[in-house]
Amino acid sequence: MQILPFYLVCDESGSMGGAPIEAINKALPELHQEISTNPTVADKTRFALIGFSDDAQVLQPLADLSELNTLPALAAGGVTSYGQAFRVLKACIETDVGDLKAEGHEVYRPVAFFLSDGVPTDGQWEEALRELTESRYCPKIIAFGIGEADTATISQVANFRAFMQQDSAISPAAALREFAASLTRSIVRSASSISADGSGDFTLAVDDKVPGFETVTLDKL
Amino acid sequence: MTADDGTDVPLSSLSFGGKIGDGGQGEVHALRDVPGLLYKSYRAPHEVDGQALAALVAVHRTLPPEERAYLDARAAWPLCRVVDGGRAVGFLMYRAPAAMTWQTPNGATKLTELQFLLREPKASWQSIAQPAPGQRRELALALVELLERLHRWGLVLGDVSQANILWTVRPAPAVHLLDCDGFRVAGRSPVLAQADTPDWGDPLAPVGSATVDSDRYKAALATGRILAQDAYTAPGRQLDVVPGELDDRQEAAVRARYTQAAGAYGTRPTLAEWRTALVGRDVIRLTAAEPAPRPPVNRAVLDSARDRGTIPLRPPPQD
Repeated sequence: MQILPFYLVCDESGSMGGAPIEAINKALPELHQEISTNPTVADKTRFALIGFSDDAQVLQPLADLSELNTLPALAAGGVTSYGQAFRVLKACIETDVGDLKAEGHEVYRPVAFFLSDGVPTDGQWEEALRELTESRYCPKIIAFGIGEADTATISQVANFRAFMQQDSAISPAAALREFAASLTRSIVRSASSISADGSGDFTLAVDDKVPGFETVTLDKL
Repeated sequence: MTADDGTDVPLSSLSFGGKIGDGGQGEVHALRDVPGLLYKSYRAPHEVDGQALAALVAVHRTLPPEERAYLDARAAWPLCRVVDGGRAVGFLMYRAPAAMTWQTPNGATKLTELQFLLREPKASWQSIAQPAPGQRRELALALVELLERLHRWGLVLGDVSQANILWTVRPAPAVHLLDCDGFRVAGRSPVLAQADTPDWGDPLAPVGSATVDSDRYKAALATGRILAQDAYTAPGRQLDVVPGELDDRQEAAVRARYTQAAGAYGTRPTLAEWRTALVGRDVIRLTAAEPAPRPPVNRAVLDSARDRGTIPLRPPPQD
């Protein structure tokens, strides 16, 4: 089977507390519902959840969403260590791709949805990002910035597409609901172009535009 | 409003009751005044072949009443075009029967697509009633009979997949086709360019083609997958039929057809052959009739039996 792994790498620093983190926690069951009631999509995709603040943690290891009954909730606290997020993501992908291949699957390049509401508080994050993007299984990164996130930083993190919240138009919680809906659409639409044996063309179908967000030109440095 | 006579309906006359579906080529909307009808709108009306859509509407309109009722019970057929500014922008169709829907754990209503028949049930969709032993065969037979009828009417389906076939076993096994505007009158262009659903293509068909033979291959795919409860098996691979579905005679016939379906493009079993295999009747082998031996000719009874001379047509040679 051809598998497309998705990683949700979510900021759970202190500033995400309250409505924003609740919005994500409320959206995750909807994501689960959508994928798990569409077995063709569930067959061909896997999902993992990584939360980061002072440190980064794999909250939900890569899994077939339709096999899950619960997901760990995000909980806000601490600062915003981008570096840890990238290091954990890189290690996680390396293990997961190896495991999937050992199970006899073929694996498409993973996709990471990165979400942050702030600027990185660690000094070494750019080096960690470079190690991730130069790694063998470097994911396609779609980065979303809300609240205090910095446009230049978000566009630097992304290598596929970047979005910034339109401050005045929408609340962070509403933006996060749109973010989650966009993630769900990406999984469903991308999976619908995957054939089990890898024949035909696979297209990563990520929204060009997300309501409440502005699409940011990627930094080509 | 009625859609039965197939006359074009102006877009401005419709009152929408909310979007209920979103696909690659268009959206499906409920209609406020007519709950049983749905409006499918095309995302790119300028790419729509309005004549091809009219041809599908005409197929429905010109069927004898009992055949039209058969089709309406089994397919979301384009009943009439919806036009705006002289251009076809969509069509009206009947809503799929409630028996072909199910409730998700959070109360949403979803269509019972073929994909839910091709796998071991999971907790997330456990509310879908699964077939009892023997009912997979009945579902495959219902599908094959429907496709056979469409072929007899001169239609080609093109894309047949886990997403455009609905099914139910309540109260009895039945199937229902969606996305019928993807079908075409044989030899004509489709309403919009069609692509095969991944895992549902005919590997031997010319790329981009949709023919009666590729439909036959896809009928074999669907039949094999339904009987084996396997979303990815295909002719050419071993067919592991769910125990209790087929008797020995049916199983032998199905296996023979499944093997034949893996053969060259143009040689796949017809829908009628699939129907016979699934019904499990004995096949009566017909030997070619030999002509009766001719009786010896009694030349005496024939007028022509006379001793005629010959008429020389050239003057005899002069010495």
